[in-house]
Amino acid sequence: MAFDKMELNDIEVWDGNFAAAQALRQCQIDVVAAYPITPSTPIVEGYAKFLSDNYIEGEFVMVESEHAAMSGCIGAAAAGGRVATATSSQGFALMVETLYQASGMRLPIVLNVVNRALASPLNVNGDHSDMYLGRDSGWIQFDSYCPQNAYDLNFIAFRVSEDHDIRLPAMVHQDGFMTSHTAQGVTTLTDDAAYNFVGDYKPMNDMLDFEHPVTHGVQTEEDWHFEHKARQHNDLMTKVLPKIQEVFDDFEKLSGRKYNIVEEYETKDADVCVVCLGSSVETAREVAGEMREKGIKAGVIGIRVIRPFPFEQIRDALKDIKAIAALDRSSPNGAPGMLFNEIAGSLFNTDTKALLSGYVYGLGGRDLTKAHLVDLFTELQANVDAGKVTTPLQQFIGVRGPKLSYL
Amino acid sequence: MSEMKKIKNLKEFSTSADRFEGANLLCPGCAHSIIVREVLNATNDDLVLSASTGCLEVCTAVYPYTSWDASWIHIGFENGSTAVAGAEAMYKALKNKGRLKQPDRNPKFVSFAGDGASYDIGFQWISGCMERGHNMMHVVLDNEVYANTGGQRSSSTPIGASATTSPAGRVSYGEKRNKKDMVSIMASHHIPYSAQVSPNKWKDMVKKIQHGFAVDGPVFINAASPCTTEWKFDPKDTMTIADLATDSLVFPLYEIIDGRELNITYRPKNIVPVEDYLAAQGRFKHLFKDQYKYLIKEWQERIDDNWAYLQRREEARV
Amino acid sequence: MAKKGWDEFEIGAMLRSFDGSIDDIAGTPQMDRDYSENSSYTASVADWRLIKPIFNKDYCIDCQFCWVYCPDVSIIARDKKMIGIDMDHCKGCGICVEVCPTNPKSLLMFPEQADEEAEIASWPAKNEEK
Repeated sequence: MAFDKMELNDIEVWDGNFAAAQALRQCQIDVVAAYPITPSTPIVEGYAKFLSDNYIEGEFVMVESEHAAMSGCIGAAAAGGRVATATSSQGFALMVETLYQASGMRLPIVLNVVNRALASPLNVNGDHSDMYLGRDSGWIQFDSYCPQNAYDLNFIAFRVSEDHDIRLPAMVHQDGFMTSHTAQGVTTLTDDAAYNFVGDYKPMNDMLDFEHPVTHGVQTEEDWHFEHKARQHNDLMTKVLPKIQEVFDDFEKLSGRKYNIVEEYETKDADVCVVCLGSSVETAREVAGEMREKGIKAGVIGIRVIRPFPFEQIRDALKDIKAIAALDRSSPNGAPGMLFNEIAGSLFNTDTKALLSGYVYGLGGRDLTKAHLVDLFTELQANVDAGKVTTPLQQFIGVRGPKLSYL
Repeated sequence: MSEMKKIKNLKEFSTSADRFEGANLLCPGCAHSIIVREVLNATNDDLVLSASTGCLEVCTAVYPYTSWDASWIHIGFENGSTAVAGAEAMYKALKNKGRLKQPDRNPKFVSFAGDGASYDIGFQWISGCMERGHNMMHVVLDNEVYANTGGQRSSSTPIGASATTSPAGRVSYGEKRNKKDMVSIMASHHIPYSAQVSPNKWKDMVKKIQHGFAVDGPVFINAASPCTTEWKFDPKDTMTIADLATDSLVFPLYEIIDGRELNITYRPKNIVPVEDYLAAQGRFKHLFKDQYKYLIKEWQERIDDNWAYLQRREEARV
Repeated sequence: MAKKGWDEFEIGAMLRSFDGSIDDIAGTPQMDRDYSENSSYTASVADWRLIKPIFNKDYCIDCQFCWVYCPDVSIIARDKKMIGIDMDHCKGCGICVEVCPTNPKSLLMFPEQADEEAEIASWPAKNEEK
């Protein structure tokens, strides 16, 4: 190969964006089609710079919109090679049409989503509105809590996505600014170790195989459409989580870093538990430790794989918890939050007597402070003590004005 | 560069082995497939194709059938051009990396789209593809209407045509705006080659497509595609209408090289009155009522003006 | 084609034009290609037709206008000769008849039920007005 390798320190100080850009370099992406949007831009800028400095061989196509970015990625992936891009927020929203097209055509593409609020009003900071917008799009969704995760999960995402039994695109989420722009120590893989873990791209149904012409993106109406959608759902429901577990296991062997589909922290004997996503998981873990010093048996569950939703893993992890809080960082706009609903669904039809309450927090990058979480765990303990939910089922955390609560 | 296919005359052209198949679901007499055949048969090189959502797309890849014998992709209405651009980028990447399965081929990248998918909803995507210099050709199947959705006006629909969203009626002559000059807009991207073609002039078409395949960089082709269903003429008359379009100069045939040098490629021996072109199509029927006849005169003046403009530009060589 | 269940087809609703590999498509005439069951070449639209073209080779000059202007790839040309019509793919539009330059025409439209031999036997004579 004609490009140069990069010597990395064992531990580098990288923010989440640069960690993801380095992962894309080490995976040797063939084509990146991208459009800039805060806060994800440095990921594709990183790829472009690595290309300019001969650390990658590939094509960077700087297109004229996020819709075109994913369209170009789809064309490139169908042609037959490794493809990635990054986006956030409004850009993600503009891509939504093509997300369904990518997954429906079963094209492995890795999309780094640096989570950010959705307008209006316009906001550049982190919440999970864009992540939630993608949750029915047929993509696999991985969630990072820190730059190390953003780095590692990219390798894992390519391995899972490109597997011929899977062939589904994958998103790697990280929180805008809190993860994407916060530099932390990241334990690196060598270029060779990283690339060997991901492996050479193995083409399938590739348009550039001129001896086997292929038609992608057909029309199906009522006589075929349902079967194709059912096939995709089946593969998401039955094949993806076992494959992810297998790749997590391989990654642990390589790096010593253990990932789980559902990340449990101090849940084994916990009475109260917070379930959340993104950088909040790390804050909640810290507070849970402090709550235990105060005598409250607190635990935290971080969901590592949002889609396919780990229904059984969540059910098993929560079955002995007495009071659970589902933290949603996206305005549900007229419903309980996504996590509240999914957790309720997981626990329904079981023998659990768990008390479930929902909290909406952190919209538009509003901080979730340790004090918020202390109050929250305390409320959960009050629920345990009372044997019932003592608060409304849906509360807002950290918003000014009269207290907001519903249901 | 691969060797250009030799097509001296129609007999020689007829030895082409089509890579587009029948039993597609296009209307009887549809010009789209005639254009597609002329484009694909202009080369023997491998092809990577796309179609934007529209008549061509929904009629040629209805599961479980495909009418394409070359790799083909459809994503959406607006982004067929970018699909091909992405595939072309992957081709370049894999070529540089030595990973092509058949490295000795010289594939041509072509996206097909209707006027709605090109002039309107896909405008930005095509502009991006042309501006970025992809080695690809975008071919508009210009039937001046959203035919696939049942005949709504597009920005290619000409003045006076009755479309379902600009219908002629007691107090309306139909479409009020003239079609936009897409060839000029695309030429203004300073791409190496842009041209207008019509399927009745097959030799002019093949020459232009071959020119387009030979140049390095993006190529834009606007192909007149008479629509039996929405222009309202008998399916057998598709080529007759195309002849009227080119010979009345409503669809003048020309090319623009490097965004500057304009060459008229067909000068009708006998220029047909625009009225004859309009009279042959149901979509203009109402123009022959007394109250709208002035529009026919205006049509002729507009076409004469445009022809004079094209000739001036050709002479000026700028 | 039989309607398959959700577990019986390729993922991504992907279709292949040919069975196996094909080295030089543009150099392989249609009759020599190994089309897959998913190629529309293997399907028929003959039932769309209300009228059909009949080819009378006695008058044909092999100009190939009908070949180039056929929207349905239904004019069979071999070695620069027009040899017939693919009636599985012809939709009966009649363009071939319109563009046929001979006098009398070598292609004419007839009702779908018409008998080819009988119609050729009673083919119209040269039109002296032209």
